[in-house]
Amino acid sequence: MKKLVGPVVAVVVLAALITVAGAVLGRPSGPRAAATAVAPPQDPLVVAVAAAQRRLAEVPGDWPTWARLGLAYVERARVTADPAYYPKAEGALRESLRLRPDGNADALTGLGALANARHDFAAARSFAQQALRLNGFDAAAYGVLADAHTQLGEAKQATAAVQKMLDLRPELPALARAAYDLEQHGRVADARDLWLRALDQAPLDAAYIHTQLGDLAWHTGDRAEACARYAAALDAQPGFPAAQPGLARVLAADGDADAALAVWARVTRRTPAPSLLIEYAGELRRVGRYSDADSQFDLAEAALRLFAASGGRDDLGEAELAIARGDADPAVAAARREWSRRTHADVADVLGWALHLAGDDAAALRYARAAASPGSRDTRYADHLAAIESALRSPR
Amino acid sequence: MKTPIRRRVGAAAALVATLAVVAYGLGPVVAGASSHREAPLIAADPSVDNTDLYAFASPDRPGYVTFVANFAPFSDPDGGPNFYPFATDAAYVIHVDNDGDAKEDAVFRWTFHNVDKRGGKTFLYNNGPVTSLKDANLLFRQEYTLESSFNGGPFVVRSKNTPVAPSRVGPASMPEYQKLRDEATIKLEGGWRIFAGQADDPFFLDLRVFDLLYGGDLSEVGRDTLAGYNVNTIALEVPFSDVALGGDASRNPVVGVWTTTERNRVRITGRSDLSGDRVQVSRLGNPLVNEVVVPANLKDAFNSIPPDKDAGIPAVVARVKDPEVPKLLEAIYKLPAPKAPRDDLVEIFLTGITTKANGPIKADLNSQLMNADADASRFRPSEMLRLNLTVPVAKEPNRLGVLAGDLQGFPNGRRLTDDAVDIGLQALAGAAQTGKLVDALATGDKVDANEVAFGATFPYVALPNVGAVNANARPAVAPTTPASQGMTVGKGPEASAPADIPKATSVAAMGTWIGVSAGLTLALILFAAWAWRRRRRPVGPGPDPTLPL
Repeated sequence: MKKLVGPVVAVVVLAALITVAGAVLGRPSGPRAAATAVAPPQDPLVVAVAAAQRRLAEVPGDWPTWARLGLAYVERARVTADPAYYPKAEGALRESLRLRPDGNADALTGLGALANARHDFAAARSFAQQALRLNGFDAAAYGVLADAHTQLGEAKQATAAVQKMLDLRPELPALARAAYDLEQHGRVADARDLWLRALDQAPLDAAYIHTQLGDLAWHTGDRAEACARYAAALDAQPGFPAAQPGLARVLAADGDADAALAVWARVTRRTPAPSLLIEYAGELRRVGRYSDADSQFDLAEAALRLFAASGGRDDLGEAELAIARGDADPAVAAARREWSRRTHADVADVLGWALHLAGDDAAALRYARAAASPGSRDTRYADHLAAIESALRSPR
Repeated sequence: MKTPIRRRVGAAAALVATLAVVAYGLGPVVAGASSHREAPLIAADPSVDNTDLYAFASPDRPGYVTFVANFAPFSDPDGGPNFYPFATDAAYVIHVDNDGDAKEDAVFRWTFHNVDKRGGKTFLYNNGPVTSLKDANLLFRQEYTLESSFNGGPFVVRSKNTPVAPSRVGPASMPEYQKLRDEATIKLEGGWRIFAGQADDPFFLDLRVFDLLYGGDLSEVGRDTLAGYNVNTIALEVPFSDVALGGDASRNPVVGVWTTTERNRVRITGRSDLSGDRVQVSRLGNPLVNEVVVPANLKDAFNSIPPDKDAGIPAVVARVKDPEVPKLLEAIYKLPAPKAPRDDLVEIFLTGITTKANGPIKADLNSQLMNADADASRFRPSEMLRLNLTVPVAKEPNRLGVLAGDLQGFPNGRRLTDDAVDIGLQALAGAAQTGKLVDALATGDKVDANEVAFGATFPYVALPNVGAVNANARPAVAPTTPASQGMTVGKGPEASAPADIPKATSVAAMGTWIGVSAGLTLALILFAAWAWRRRRRPVGPGPDPTLPL
């Protein structure tokens, strides 16, 4: 019983908070809101899930479709940032495995994708390896393996898995991972080249790819290119959700805080992911709207709880939230917990920054350097490292 | 997930499945609790998915063979402004092995490019009626290059900037589609004819027959689940002499055919140059191999390897020798599974039907081992569609092909009218082994013919459908619409009449052509121990046309 209380409370709190936030903060404003209200064509993922459910009602023994449904739920969770899909995904994947316990590589790959989504990267790595033992030509399993290695900080193995995926299916999923891998190794121009190839190959995915190109430009300090790419993404698919955070960042950098905040409000209403809520709160603080920012922090906290209640574990998110709230010590503790499980550059950066905020610049330096070491040109890491080095030169 | 092989079953099982992973539905980069980068796991790009391969002696042009390869299954005519283009970064390839070493001796390679005059101003593909392929109203179209290579020689361009017949947008946009089809049907030097463009999916079957694998019920089948959908077709007609070993089809009548799609290779390790050669991402020879022969976990491997590696993967051979479907038929329908090892299936799928490989089928029909100039010591079993070019064109093709005594049909090559599912089920249940059709499966999937008639001349495939598939769901075995010049296709509307299923007489017919060895088969039939009784299957309600795919 006690086990249930946490999740239930979290869900209720989150629902309540979102309702309140929607009423208080999210008042649709003007023509833009009207434009987004135009119903887009039915979400193919929603259609897919419904069709799989119908199919399984007819042929409940269809284990491949159970596996596909499970994976569709994982994708749906990612698109909506709604972790309530995780238990559903798990149920479908386990059912597939129950019907076909032996040699069911698809279900194992799906479970691996789910584990990655829940940030249990070690488990994801294991599922992917099991799937690959059954089917060594499964590009998706290599994708799961690459994601797990990447997040665990196992850069070499990650690159090898991405190359395997490329050797099997040099298509968007592999190109996306390859571009990210190159970017992490500082090969930004090559990463860009791959995204441009992907654009040629998969014109239907133009909005997604332009957004990635925009993020790549943004993280490497090319504001003009980022702006153009986000615009292209929105041109390819009006209102494309993933391009909105980038758009908001560009607007904020241009000094148009009101427009940026309007976009952030829209984004977080649609996709209440902790990282987005935290970033929105940061923008609210910049214009002095502290209590509004606190509301977003509360939402982020609730979203993290919901994530945990759905079987996820995200100490990195906890650390980011604590940093944003100015709670340095809890941030260090949370980041250390994450670091004990995985040594990805993102974790190093957050841990380093948390230590800096807690006043331990000597310890911080090691992590900040680790974050920047693979040759990454991510400007955030560089900024953090510079600040820490500067603090060490002139102690407070 | 899209293991490419599962393409038909999987695809339909849930159009779902593919949609589930349509990358553009997968937007957000930053969702998830922390901000780590996430990307779609599976590309749902059907443009490179092989669906079917056909190879047959041209019925109206003696001495010529036609290859038809189809891609992009389930192209719904109601795709709106979305065309179904060929991939522009891929190569579409038809391979021919004429000496049996499982390596290609003739290769035909298509590559496509876009001609896009929309200038970013519109997403529509035409801005008025399109009456010719050069019509200014046709804003987006594709062209291709066809190259060929023989006996390992360099590729030679056979046709360049050749127009593709566009996706059929609708009667208002393309009032005379036949004209566009005709413009895209092109004659080349050497007697070649080529075509690339959209067509009706010629495969007719009830995909639900495969629900057998998941505990489904054969009594519920009977609807052509592909009716109304289109595919992208490439077709090629060449003289026998261009593909036969030594250019001599009378000495060397058998060719093996398979089709692949290839994407550009990308390397991020080991060298600074990202580019490279091409990667094979899809492969197809015989129909249904993917569905019923290759084990689930080997499907990706099968799609990645060339045929000369087939025999090196024991699990594939083991599975051919001991397939799952007959066991399911036994479990569900009390239809005794023929004893493994199924060397008859090895002949059908891996060597071709011949007496020269010590197989159980006493006939010589379509193995490269029959080619007088082939070096038998270099023969390598491999999965491909094998065609004896010199079997006379059947006046009245039987949908059950070889099993019904019509030696010009599948598994001797494959004609558009061959009922691959019923033949496949029959073969798995042992019909080729015994020389006798399995009565319990007489009606098979109960879909005996395509819903629209095929053309009488190259490229033979029917014009693409118009109108949303779900808007005009068809009844079981829709009556064929006789086209003015349509050739005979299977049977009419009688849904379950087994009238076209010949009994032992067909085997006699087979014997007369093949030779006395078939006599032994006949003798065997008399002793065949098919001790099962026909299972009385309940007459189910008619298929529900509103059922989702």
